[in-house]
Amino acid sequence: MPDSGFPWPIETTRLDNGLRVVVSEDRTAPAVAVNLWYDVGSRHEPDGQTGFAHLFEHLMFEGSVNVAKTEHMKLVQGAGGSLNATTNPDRTNYFETVPAEHLELALWLEADRMGGLVPALTQETLDNQRDVVKNERRQRYENVPYGDAWLRLLPLLYPPGHPYHHATIGSMADLNAADLATFQAFHRTYYAPNNAVLTVVGDAAATEVFALADKYFGAIPARESIPAAPDGRHVPRAGAPVAETVTAAVPAPRVFVAHRTHPFGTPGYDVLTVLATVLGSGRGSRLYQRLADGERLAQPDLVGAYGVDLRHAPAPLIVTATARDGVTGERLAAGVAEVVDELATVPVTAAELDRAKALLSTAWWRQMSTVDGRADILGRYATQFGDPAKAAERLPAWLAVTADQIAELAAEALRAEDRVTLTYLPEETA
Amino acid sequence: MSLIADRPGPGLARPYRFPQVVRRDVAGGRVVAAHLPGQNLAVALLLLDAGAGREPVGREGLGAVLAKALEEGTAQRDATAYALAIEALGTELVTGLDWDSFQVSVQVPVERLGAAVELLAEAVRTPKLDPDDLRRVRDDEATALRMDWANPGPRAEAALRADLFGAQNRWGRPMYGDPDSVAALDPEDLTVFHSEWFLRPGTLVVAGDLDRLDLDALGAAAFAGTGGGPTPVEGPVDVPLRAGRRIILVDRPGSVQSTLRLGHAAPHRAHPDHVPMALAGTVLGGAFTSRLNHLIREVRGYTYGIRGDFASSRRFGRFAVSSGVQTAVTAPALVEAVGEITRTRAGGVTEDELAVARSWRAGQLSVELQSPRAIASALTTLVVHDLPDDYHARRRESLLAADVADVSAAAATHLHPESLTLVVEGDAALIRDELAATGLGEIVDVRP
Repeated sequence: MPDSGFPWPIETTRLDNGLRVVVSEDRTAPAVAVNLWYDVGSRHEPDGQTGFAHLFEHLMFEGSVNVAKTEHMKLVQGAGGSLNATTNPDRTNYFETVPAEHLELALWLEADRMGGLVPALTQETLDNQRDVVKNERRQRYENVPYGDAWLRLLPLLYPPGHPYHHATIGSMADLNAADLATFQAFHRTYYAPNNAVLTVVGDAAATEVFALADKYFGAIPARESIPAAPDGRHVPRAGAPVAETVTAAVPAPRVFVAHRTHPFGTPGYDVLTVLATVLGSGRGSRLYQRLADGERLAQPDLVGAYGVDLRHAPAPLIVTATARDGVTGERLAAGVAEVVDELATVPVTAAELDRAKALLSTAWWRQMSTVDGRADILGRYATQFGDPAKAAERLPAWLAVTADQIAELAAEALRAEDRVTLTYLPEETA
Repeated sequence: MSLIADRPGPGLARPYRFPQVVRRDVAGGRVVAAHLPGQNLAVALLLLDAGAGREPVGREGLGAVLAKALEEGTAQRDATAYALAIEALGTELVTGLDWDSFQVSVQVPVERLGAAVELLAEAVRTPKLDPDDLRRVRDDEATALRMDWANPGPRAEAALRADLFGAQNRWGRPMYGDPDSVAALDPEDLTVFHSEWFLRPGTLVVAGDLDRLDLDALGAAAFAGTGGGPTPVEGPVDVPLRAGRRIILVDRPGSVQSTLRLGHAAPHRAHPDHVPMALAGTVLGGAFTSRLNHLIREVRGYTYGIRGDFASSRRFGRFAVSSGVQTAVTAPALVEAVGEITRTRAGGVTEDELAVARSWRAGQLSVELQSPRAIASALTTLVVHDLPDDYHARRRESLLAADVADVSAAAATHLHPESLTLVVEGDAALIRDELAATGLGEIVDVRP
C-alpha cells in the first residue's frame, strides 16, 4: 500500500477569470470524470430562503442559453454517461462520467450553465422544480419513520443565525415563497468561475483539458466580490445538555446522540473520524459489542456512529441506536451515553485502533477506485484547502491517530454538558 | 468573447475492453477472476446456488437469517473474536441474496485477500449455528423486517408480487420473507438449509490485480471441506397474465405521498428478446430522460422520480414501475402512468429516443464498470446466467445494433397495460374515491 493517499499525478492551472482547473490523468479505462465544485451551499442562505441552494441545483439541469430544456440529461445519457449533482451545507457539486471521447461535450455543457443559465430560467421551470423538490422533501424526510431526524438535530446543535442551523432541504414555506428574481440573483452572485473548481480525472491529458477549459469557460467573466457565508467557526457552548423527545409513527424507540466536534480537515477532526469508527462501525465496534451484543439493548443492524464532514464550523458526530423489543427509549439513551462517556475513560486498545484504521483504509481506497470518486475528492481539497494535492494527506493523518488523542478528544468534545439527545418514541397503539 | 454556441461532436472513441477473465477449476470448485492491474483493492465473492428460489414455501427468510447467523461464531472462534479478526483486515463480511444466488464477499487491500478469504470460508463452511444464537438472530431479523416494513414500499411490493405470481409459490412471496415468515423459522430449518446448500463448493469470484494474487490458494481456502455437485435449475415458470387490470389499495394512514408499484409478469432472463426489452424499458422508464420521468416529474411535478424496467431472474421476470407521488395527485399520476405505458406499447419508440437509450446502456459498460466491486458483480452475472467471457463486449454490440423495429416490437409484445396490477400504498381514506373514479380497474383493499 502506498504511503500517499493519492498516488496519481495532479496538475493544476487557473484561468484568467479565476476558474481553477485540476487534472489527474489515468488511462486505465476509456472513461473520464468531470466534476465542478461551487463554493456555495445552504450555509449561504439567509433567513426566509432556506432550501434555495438545493432548489437552484435542480434548475441547473433545466437548460441554458445554448442547451434546451431537458437537453442536458439527454445529451449526457445519450453519450453513455452518468451524471448527478448534490448540495450540502458547504457546497454544491455537479458531476458526470462519460466515455472519454465525450469530454468536450461535458465541458461545453458545464460552461453553458455556468455562464448562460439566467436568460434561460423561466417561471414555468421554477414552478415545476419547486414541486419536484417538495416531493423530494416528502419522500425523504416526511413519509418515512425517523426521516426528519437531521432536520431536528441541526437546530439543536447550532443556534439561530449559525450557517448550519437549518437543513439543506429547506422549509416548505420558504420553498413556496421562492421567486424567480431571487434565483437569477443567486446565479449571478455565486455561479462565477472564480467561485468554482473544475476537476477532470481519467482518460485525458492535462494539456488537452487546460486548452479545452480555456476554450469553453474562458469567456465567462469573473465576479468582483462574492459574499461570504456567516462565520460559524465559533459556536458558544450550551453549558447544559439538550434533549428533545418526539412521539411519532415509528416502529421502535430510536436515539440520536450528537456533539459538535471540529471542522473537517483539522487534526481534531481526523481524530474524530477514527473515534467514530472505533465507536460505531462494524460488529467489532464498541456500540455493537456493548449495546447490540453485550446488553442487547439495541437492534444489531441499526447501531452506528459517524462524523458529518463539514468544513466551516465544528462538525457534528452523530451516534444512533434503535431499541430492541421491550427496551425503553430512556434505557437506550442511557446505554448510548455510557458508551460515549467511556471513550474518555476506557482507553482504546491497540486492537480497536488497528481495526478502525483498517476499515478506514478500505473505505478510502474504495472511493479512489473510480475516476468519479477521485474527481470529487480533488475538487473538495482544491475548494476547501486551496490545494488538491492535500487529498493525499488525509489517509496518512488517520493512520497516525493515537489512542491518547482519542481519549483527549472525547474528554474535550464529548462532554455530557455539550450533548444533544434526540429520542423518538412510538405513538401509543390501541 | 462569449460562450461557444455550437455543441462539440465526439472525439475518437477508444474501445472499451472488459478485463481479462480467468476461469480455473480448483479444489473441487471453480474460480472466475478478472485482472485489474495496478488496483490496490481486491474483492472476493463466494457465489452459492442458495438463492431465495431454493427456499421452501412457508420458509421464506432462511437465507436472510443465515446471512446474519454466519457471523455468530465459528468452529474456531466466538462472534466477537470473528468480528475483530475480519475487521482488522479492513473488511466486513458482506452478504447478499437474490432469487438465483447467495453471495458472501470481502473487500480489502490486495495483499490481505488471502487472509480475508480464509475467514470468509470459515464463516460460510463452519459456522457454529448454536440453537440459542439462531433463535436470537431469527428474532432480530424479524424485528429488522418489521422496521423495514414500517417504511413505504415493502408492503406494496409484497402485494404486487403476490398478485403477479401467486402467494402459493415461493416466487410469489417476498424475496427476504416477511416479519411473520421469519419469526416462524426454527433453528433446525436453518441448520438443514445450511447443510443442504452452503457446503457445496460454489464459485469464487475474484476481482483484483492477479499479478499479486494466488488464485489456487484462494480457491483452496474457499472450497476446503466442501462436497456435492451443482444442483440442476428448474426451467422457467409459466406465469399467466391477469385477464383485467386491477387496483390494490394498501392503507397507510397519514401518508403524505402515495407509493406506486405497477407491474405485470414478463419473460425470464434467457429470453431471446432480452436486449430489445431492456431498451424498451429504458425508453419508457429506465433513464432520467425516460417518457415516464419526463411526464410525471419534469412536466407535471407530481414526484421526485419515477422509474420502470423489465427485471428477470433465471426462472421468471416482471415489468414494474415504481414511484412516490404527492397524495393529492395520486389518481392523475396513476392515469398518466398507465397512459404512457399504453402509448409505448401501441406506438413503439422513436429513433431519437432509442439513440439515447442504446448509447446510454452501452456507455454504462465503460463508465460504471470501474471498481473491483462492480467488476465482481459483472463476473457474477456471467456465472449465474452461464455467459461467455466476451459477454460484455457482445452485449455492447447488440445494444448498439438494436433498431426501432426490434425495440418497438419488444414493447408491443412484452408490455401489457390491460393486465397491469396497480398497487397504491397511501392514505386510503383520502384517495379511495378518486381512484375508483379513474375507472382503471376494480379496487381490492389491503389493511395494515
